[in-house]
Amino acid sequence: MEELILKLKNEIIEVLNLEEVKPEDIDENAALFGEGLGLDSIDALELIVLMEKNYGIKLQDPNQGKEIFKSIAVMADYISKNRTK
Amino acid sequence: MSVFIASCAQISIQKPLNDEWFYIPVHYDEPFVRAIDPDYKPFINPIAGRRMGLIMKRAIATSMTALADASLVQPDAIVTATGLGCIENTEKFLKTLCYEGESCLQPTYFINSTHNTIGSSIALHKKCHGYNNTHVHKGISFESALLDAMLQFELGKIENALVGAYDEMTQDYYHLLDKINMWDGTFASETAVATVLKKNGDIELVDLDILYKPEKQLLIDRTNLLCNKIGISTEDIDLLVTGKNNNKENNVVYEAFEKSIGLENKSETYKNIFGESFTSSAYGFYYAFECLRKGRSPQGKDVNNILIYNHYKNIDHSLILLSRC
Repeated sequence: MEELILKLKNEIIEVLNLEEVKPEDIDENAALFGEGLGLDSIDALELIVLMEKNYGIKLQDPNQGKEIFKSIAVMADYISKNRTK
Repeated sequence: MSVFIASCAQISIQKPLNDEWFYIPVHYDEPFVRAIDPDYKPFINPIAGRRMGLIMKRAIATSMTALADASLVQPDAIVTATGLGCIENTEKFLKTLCYEGESCLQPTYFINSTHNTIGSSIALHKKCHGYNNTHVHKGISFESALLDAMLQFELGKIENALVGAYDEMTQDYYHLLDKINMWDGTFASETAVATVLKKNGDIELVDLDILYKPEKQLLIDRTNLLCNKIGISTEDIDLLVTGKNNNKENNVVYEAFEKSIGLENKSETYKNIFGESFTSSAYGFYYAFECLRKGRSPQGKDVNNILIYNHYKNIDHSLILLSRC
């Protein structure tokens, strides 16, 4: 799981263009939206694309995102259970 | 209605956001040189900048510098010129579309793939809800934006305006344009110029004229008309700034004009310093502004009245007259 969390952190930094942020700066249990990294709705779309492109997970219900994108740890857990690639 | 130039700022292949080029220009031998980017941290926080391509960061940095130099917090109008818009992010979007299909397209590149993203980014950054327009007209995009701003002044709708010209160039697009001889005799580069116009000041933007395939006599007549507006003749023009480069076909048009108004010995060029792009004529405007601000040209001519003449493929021509009061 730790390996997946690190991979996910790097992917999020790249896809969201978080130039100033390093993987170790991100607390995997901190909130991704609002506080924590302070992401917004466009970032949520980017994360949906990332999940589909890199892990073959297609989110059918947008409301699922609220729970899945709670933190990187939650996201990694969901990916490990539902990934198709 | 008089319009004055309060400030100008540039990011280019010269040292960014200053006028060192005026004294010690950097020379390049490469056929394609990208602009030198400054540190954007003083202008944009990294979180806000993460969805911005380079062209948007350059637009914000030049705009904020020009506004600060003009002691203006928020402009009444933002008028933007661009030939290609956010081409770098547009390319990324199209490449994903081509190679990976339509199902996994990143929203940020899609958002950035419209030409007016640049002007709207500046407006968002400055929280400016005023007039906002973008002009995309190849080689006369900048002149069209300038004209638009002047018309807004004339209509009494604005007291000041932020006018900018922005273009970026990617390796792929450079090669595509190279195949149609776009860069024949010149070197390709990028544009980022912002200028603030006000209703008072020392350097007057007397007027400008955009002409489509003009005859030689029409160019002479329009130059005389511009001069008449401030009661001078072409003899009183101290400097002619032109878009000459090393292309014979391009230069022959400029040389004919110089000769027709007797300014062969008063001509200076800017594309050798800043390179070529769809909106590079904005550097001609910036060059002239810096000359008037300093009272002399880089080649040592004393200047009070400057005429800027550009043409794009001998189709669209433009004349801009600036004068120091």
